[in-house]
Amino acid sequence: MKGIPTVLITVSPEVSAQMRPPRALYPKGFKVGNSLGRPGMRDLQKRVLHDALALLTQNTRPGEAVTIEYPEYGEQYEPPRVKKL
Amino acid sequence: MTISRKCVPFTPFERELTKSKIAIVTAGGVHLKDQEPFNIADELGDLGYREIPEDVDSSDLVVTHHHYDHRDADEDINVVFPIDVLRDLNSDGFVGGVAKKHIGYMGYTMQLKAMYEGTAREIANDIDRNSRADAVVLTGG
Repeated sequence: MKGIPTVLITVSPEVSAQMRPPRALYPKGFKVGNSLGRPGMRDLQKRVLHDALALLTQNTRPGEAVTIEYPEYGEQYEPPRVKKL
Repeated sequence: MTISRKCVPFTPFERELTKSKIAIVTAGGVHLKDQEPFNIADELGDLGYREIPEDVDSSDLVVTHHHYDHRDADEDINVVFPIDVLRDLNSDGFVGGVAKKHIGYMGYTMQLKAMYEGTAREIANDIDRNSRADAVVLTGG
């Protein structure tokens, strides 16, 4: 097995960063349970998946999420934080 | 093969998206209605995963997961498992195809070592051998 290129769509970038994903997209302000957007918003969902897949062909910094804003999503949410022990 | 916990396991993407088949792997607890639901009664979490075929009707997919609010996914599974969205991007010619197999698992566990060294590796091997995917999109809840 030589490995498979992956890209993560995360709504919890701080939590995801702990696993150092090779490529990741954080759609800013999306809530947990809405990784691609809200129900029925197919155009937005397509943009998010398009942008995530496009990261496969870009020079991203492994281990760090790329943040993109999607104003059409509407109300924004604070992402979950890593709990400090 | 031992997975390092210190470095980023980066695999270069050396193809063109327009010629690449894409698989989806979600931690959002997605599975077919007629598959065994994830065991949410086990406080340690369910380490299993479910295979989802390329020709799945998205209305046949459900979520079993009790650590996020999945009411939106119940209404439109594409918010966590974008299979119809991927088909749209394939129709548009942005990607080269939808992979033969996709995976759903419940991304909550108190058995981190077993998830990291067991389930995750099994999923990677399954995708590598059986999905014919050139790249994978990962989603959470």
